[in-house]
Amino acid sequence: MFETIVDPTVGPPASSECDQPTLAARPDSLFGLRLGLLANTKRNAEQFLQQVGEQLAEQYRLQMVLARKKPNIIETAPEPMMAEFADRCDIVVAGVGDCGSCSASAVADGLLLEQAGIPAVVICTDAFMASADAMARLRGAPGYRYVTTPHPVANLTAGGIHDRAVAAIPAIVTLLTQPTMAASA
Amino acid sequence: MTAPVTDPVAHAKAAIEYCYEQGWTDGLPVVPATIADVETFVATTGRDAAEIIGSQQHLGRSITVAQAAANAIMAGCKPEYFPVVLAAWHVLNLERGSRGAWQSTSGPAPLIVVNGGVRSRLGINYQGGVFGPGFRPNATIARAIGLIVRNGYGIRPQQLDQATQGLPGRWSICIGENEELSPWEPLSVVGGAAPGADAVSAMLIRTCEYVDNRSTDVAEAVLRDLAGRHGPARRCPSPGLTPDRTELAYPAQAHCPREKWSSDGGDLTRRQGRARHRRRTQHWQRHRAGPVQVWRQGRLQRRRRGSDQGMHRPDRAERRRGNGRAR
Repeated sequence: MFETIVDPTVGPPASSECDQPTLAARPDSLFGLRLGLLANTKRNAEQFLQQVGEQLAEQYRLQMVLARKKPNIIETAPEPMMAEFADRCDIVVAGVGDCGSCSASAVADGLLLEQAGIPAVVICTDAFMASADAMARLRGAPGYRYVTTPHPVANLTAGGIHDRAVAAIPAIVTLLTQPTMAASA
Repeated sequence: MTAPVTDPVAHAKAAIEYCYEQGWTDGLPVVPATIADVETFVATTGRDAAEIIGSQQHLGRSITVAQAAANAIMAGCKPEYFPVVLAAWHVLNLERGSRGAWQSTSGPAPLIVVNGGVRSRLGINYQGGVFGPGFRPNATIARAIGLIVRNGYGIRPQQLDQATQGLPGRWSICIGENEELSPWEPLSVVGGAAPGADAVSAMLIRTCEYVDNRSTDVAEAVLRDLAGRHGPARRCPSPGLTPDRTELAYPAQAHCPREKWSSDGGDLTRRQGRARHRRRTQHWQRHRAGPVQVWRQGRLQRRRRGSDQGMHRPDRAERRRGNGRAR
């Protein structure tokens, strides 16, 4: 009846990145792998990931840890940075998404890495699951799983960051070694 | 809604309801847009309907002129408003941090300021009650921006939009500058436009406050009230958004302390302020705005009696209150 009404939501995609993403094959174990850490510019994000890196390096005798910080919290990491991860790392941990735009873009980072064949896990605070999930749906990956840590992260002390990182390790390891889509997806 | 509707009013209401059901509205009724409407709007601009005027790389979404037109129609714009909508959209896209602003926890609102004869031609209010309500172009131009963000980018509250509270008046703040009663040159001229040219400026704001002092003719009293409302220039917690302030003065306020209160903070900073402003406002961006006036850089600057140059130095009481302190 109202087919002549223009749908205002229909526009061109910005790129072809939003096709159904293919998730990378998981390794059986993290032992001896090369880990990438993709931090955003939010307070404590780098420190959080650094703690994650240290924990994983110790537990799994990682070959090396490559830490990088993307310049813009809103957008996905620049292509050269992504290429470097793809070139030099076997797995990547990205985060910490603790705001509206950065949680969404962290999920987008994770999915881009997956498409590049790198198993990735994204860390978001539990306050921003809605935007993280919305991004996953938008990118054709409803049910995409990521690791949550309680919100906020920005006000944590060094000790608090350490404890949170330790608490997140089991979920990070699970998502890096098992399929990252929810069973229902 | 499935039964044939013969009553045109019922039909119109059903069309509005249909738009609600699609999730296309900001909560208020929208005007359904047709292809013909979109063509009419696009024709006012002389631009290609398929031209991309904004992208959110991480969302994989882009906005075309035609899509902006559809949303402007839905917002209630007349075709002749559409160039102003596009200009405001363009300026907002230049604002540092604007790409993430629509999803930000801070939920900032665009402040859109229109200069030039276009105000009168379109009926954009630049006088009493300038923030509205009651004036179609003011209300619908600002609303169009909100619908473009919502429908074009798919950024909706509680989903990709993570505003914790939002802002009263978000998507409804579009004003004209009262150039005729202003003692200062128009915002657009400060931004680099020719005097009298039609121009749109915009910035993102996170709050709004009314400061009232109608019982003085002393510049310091007005400035002190303004400074007292603000406190020290805050460090902005989010790297993408600027902590600049915009002061709007009503005509009596602007004229009252005229000999001591100049629009750009005094001769000392005039030249450097302008140079900086020009750099930062190349395409009409922000910064001084208002029915009449603004104030610069979150910093209390004024001319002193007996010394026509010089920055204000806060006295001890002001320092204690944190007033007048530059960042």
